[in-house]
Amino acid sequence: MHRTGDSGTRTRGRGRRLSTILALPILLLGLEAVSQGQTPPAASAPKSSSAKPAGKTAKPAAKPAAPLGAPLKAYGSSNAPITMEVFSDYECPSCRNLYENTLRSMINDYVAAGKVYLVHRDYPLPMHKYGYEASRWLNASARIGKFADVEAALYDNQNSWSQDGNIAKYISAAMSAAEFKRVEAIMQGCGFDTPAGMKTAKLTLGQSPDTCSVDPYIEADRALGNKVPVAATPTYVIIYKGNRLPAGSGFVSWPILKQFFDSLLSQ
Amino acid sequence: MTLLGSILQWLAWWGYCFVAAGAIVVLCIRNREKRRGVLRLLLVLGGVLVGSIFLAAAYGKMKPFPGFPWGWGSLKISITYFVMQVESYEILSPAASNLVAHVLPFFELFLGLWLVSGIARRSSSVLASLVFFCFMALITYAWLRGLKIKCGCGVGPDEETGPGAVLRDGVRFFLPSMLLAIGSFYERRIRATELSPAAVPSAAHAD
Repeated sequence: MHRTGDSGTRTRGRGRRLSTILALPILLLGLEAVSQGQTPPAASAPKSSSAKPAGKTAKPAAKPAAPLGAPLKAYGSSNAPITMEVFSDYECPSCRNLYENTLRSMINDYVAAGKVYLVHRDYPLPMHKYGYEASRWLNASARIGKFADVEAALYDNQNSWSQDGNIAKYISAAMSAAEFKRVEAIMQGCGFDTPAGMKTAKLTLGQSPDTCSVDPYIEADRALGNKVPVAATPTYVIIYKGNRLPAGSGFVSWPILKQFFDSLLSQ
Repeated sequence: MTLLGSILQWLAWWGYCFVAAGAIVVLCIRNREKRRGVLRLLLVLGGVLVGSIFLAAAYGKMKPFPGFPWGWGSLKISITYFVMQVESYEILSPAASNLVAHVLPFFELFLGLWLVSGIARRSSSVLASLVFFCFMALITYAWLRGLKIKCGCGVGPDEETGPGAVLRDGVRFFLPSMLLAIGSFYERRIRATELSPAAVPSAAHAD
């Protein structure tokens, strides 16, 4: 008798628990619906000098109007619904992996189709001996409109120049002799060492460690990266119609990234 | 951050303190009947707290990004974004990452509701402990491989893979779920000894 009564109590107790389970999602959805209206929209992505309107093709944005304009380190049209900013270090193997296996396909596919605007952001890490110097070469090349070719050359030959530091060899191979002379002229005063103090102190926006004319652009990117914040390279930030999504880091394959873009574009 | 998310995340983030304090309280009570009564109450609360970890984790993976309204479209975006996070661990193939990322949030939602309901608490708490153990093993594996991945799982702030993240998961998530499992078995044992000797075998097999 005692056990039957106990069983009945337990059955009633379970019934109550089941009704709790059913009621809980409804309550949660109700609470969510009430609180949904209070969510403020995310701030739009900051537009930097490098994210200027570009052409409709997958080639680097557009040639700068003046030879000493800001470096344009972007692919595609800035009117694309999706903007992807990638913070990377040219000496970082993961960044090369992302570029070679994902970004290249993306540039040929979704960037060319005007669906994605891909922006490169420099974030050279102090642990890499030649990373900062590579960024300088890239920025100098980008100022004469050779961003895409130089980026490809840097990643394709990363194993070589990261050993001996001979970056100029691959930069010169990626452009004509006349263009390389212009890049060299921009690079005058840069020196070829990592800026002093970089390993110990973070440089603020616009504070150049020496007279190198491209360093402010690198530091501007690094300042943006510190705001994300970038903890490792590559780190990417995706902006869809002005909504900035949480930053992601590490490798992502093109099929998976494409799937994510498709889900965004199907909204 | 929505109201619901804030409540769930607060419970998930600080729940371990209550569970640990509850365990100490139970150990301090000498009277057997009183101890069982307090234990039963604490198990209900512990189930809610550990369940809220899973609910918060599921919510973190399913909630729409800022600027997106609730709906299937935003759910799809959040899940496909989670696929990228799973893939960044570089353990699974793209297809397997897709499968895991599509199943895990719903599994967490189910397990969270199960723990909150209190039905078959011993099974749910053991399963929760196993899941947390697997998460800790994954983070350790990613850290040992030198991967710097943010792992917050929607509960509390994101943290990079490393000893800190493992310790956080161990103390905040694994410890309370283990205490809940131990408490559930202990409560069952007390109940079994209170029943008549003839009733013990059948009770021992019931969940």
